[in-house]
Amino acid sequence: MRAPELLVPAALGGLILVYFALPFVTFLSRTGTATVVAGLSTPEAQVAIRNSLLTAPVSTAIATILGVPLAYVLARTSFPGKRLVEALVILPLIVPPVVGGAMIITAVGRFTPIGSAATAAGIPLTDSLIGIVLAQTFVAAPFVIITARAGFGAVDERLEQASRSLGYGPLETFWNVSLPLARGAILAGISLTFARAIGEFGATMMVAYNPRTMPTRIWVDFITGGIDATVPLALALFAITLVVLAAVQRFGRVPTVIDR
Amino acid sequence: MMLELESLTHRYGTESAVDDVSFGVAEGELVALLGPSGCGKTTVVQAVAGHVRPTAGRVTLRGADVTDAPPESRQVSVVFQQSTLYPHMTVSENVAYGLRARGVESGPRADVVSEYLELVDLSEQRDAYPAELSGGQRQRVELARAVAPEPDVLLLDEPLSALDRSLRERLRGEIARIQQETGVTTLFVTHDQAEAMALADRLVVMDDGSVAGVGEPRTLYESPSTPFVASFLGRSNELSATVVRQEPLTFTVGGQEVVLPDSRADGSIGSAVSCHVRPDDLTLDAGGGLGSDGPSVSLPGTVARVADMGCRYDVTVRLETEEEVIVERTETPPATGESVSVGLLAENLTIFGAGQRDRIGVDVARL
Repeated sequence: MRAPELLVPAALGGLILVYFALPFVTFLSRTGTATVVAGLSTPEAQVAIRNSLLTAPVSTAIATILGVPLAYVLARTSFPGKRLVEALVILPLIVPPVVGGAMIITAVGRFTPIGSAATAAGIPLTDSLIGIVLAQTFVAAPFVIITARAGFGAVDERLEQASRSLGYGPLETFWNVSLPLARGAILAGISLTFARAIGEFGATMMVAYNPRTMPTRIWVDFITGGIDATVPLALALFAITLVVLAAVQRFGRVPTVIDR
Repeated sequence: MMLELESLTHRYGTESAVDDVSFGVAEGELVALLGPSGCGKTTVVQAVAGHVRPTAGRVTLRGADVTDAPPESRQVSVVFQQSTLYPHMTVSENVAYGLRARGVESGPRADVVSEYLELVDLSEQRDAYPAELSGGQRQRVELARAVAPEPDVLLLDEPLSALDRSLRERLRGEIARIQQETGVTTLFVTHDQAEAMALADRLVVMDDGSVAGVGEPRTLYESPSTPFVASFLGRSNELSATVVRQEPLTFTVGGQEVVLPDSRADGSIGSAVSCHVRPDDLTLDAGGGLGSDGPSVSLPGTVARVADMGCRYDVTVRLETEEEVIVERTETPPATGESVSVGLLAENLTIFGAGQRDRIGVDVARL
């Protein structure tokens, strides 16, 4: 029994767990007063759910397709200015999402060169589904990059060298060896990125307050109807995230979110 | 030559790792690259495998310059100290991996995999994952995976160093057998001189980024080319000496005058030289007083320490010159503090000029 020496850390950890659990319990206890099904069947809620389900997977896919190769490069090479690149990866995590959203507007907003050109071409980058994707990707992509980078870093480089010596080029080696061996970490990163993307509010509100996603709809419901009005969509959002995370863990056979 | 290194030089930044290393490995030969850790062995391996592009020099395989060729276009297999088996593939998938890259069709591939798993006696583990194998089994799968594509050169980079002693010796025999059965040209890198002596047709001894000696194990052991080779290849006692006559080479060691008949030295009279002698070439006599047929030199001293090595005793004797020598002895050793005399034959001495890396009085000790 190691109980005595673990008593203090367990007690401290218990406190934070209670603090995590308490709001969940109090919030969920309101479910009875709210009519969840009715709340979710309003046209506004339906649109919000549809928009979130359209944008979050796209943002996650973009973050993964562009971020995983970057993670590999960061894990395997050093080059002048690498620290700067690493700082850039973390930047979206440090910047408050609402500020990040403001920054995105200054780059691609309606009255910027990029934004006006895109609008003229019929693909507005703000107040559109694309705007939502831009906001979500900005805020959520660092999670998959950082996690995948740790995953690639944990793969012994000699396994890749052996693959090269056995006749495979760098790309085949990445596909056959590095990617499968870092899979757990990458999937964990994808899960985190998806959860962050579908729940994104601050940057989305700035870049694309319309069309509404689930988080922006929840905000509108809150200012018009109070806490109880947010319960149906909040529960739906929670359920979707939970189902996706569970599916990734199930099919990816990831033991924990941060697979070490 | 199957593999040839010409003036291979590599620097990491300003740090020189390998400096002007040249040697070759003939087809079917097993050459051991021997040296202490940090001497540049691994950099040589990486350059041969193509994972390091050397700062200068050339690597040729079958006469073709491959210095700038990527690893996948060389036929060079590598086995490292740590297992590099793919944990997400079974044993047979691991062995098949290199064959697939070389375009072997799946039918014949299965046959080749079976053949090589049989070679390393792991046919029954073909569907196991690496995590289910013992350390020794994993290294055997590594060997099978490395030799199955029939590479031009097999590089073994300290393949046994992570294993415990009895397993290491068993696997050493396995490597010798596999090398013989497949005839694969092998460069075996190790810091363990016993391992290198036991396995290799030829040794390349490296010290501090350069080659310190090349030769057959026995020849290098018996007439080492430099003091480093003498001390690294087996153990060696070093005694300082002074030249008193050049022809025949005569010098004083431990207060005694030693003559090497039929020899001459380049060292001038009065110059300091160092004598190297193996601990098993020394004899011990209690009290002193040697007969006429005894060793040619007898150095008095006292026993400083005795270490019981199991199969022998290592007796450390402090000579009157305050120098210490180790004498190997199988019989009951004298007690600590006892006065003894250390006997040696002049012909067992290897003489090196002081501060010089090369032997002087070329092979005099063997005349």
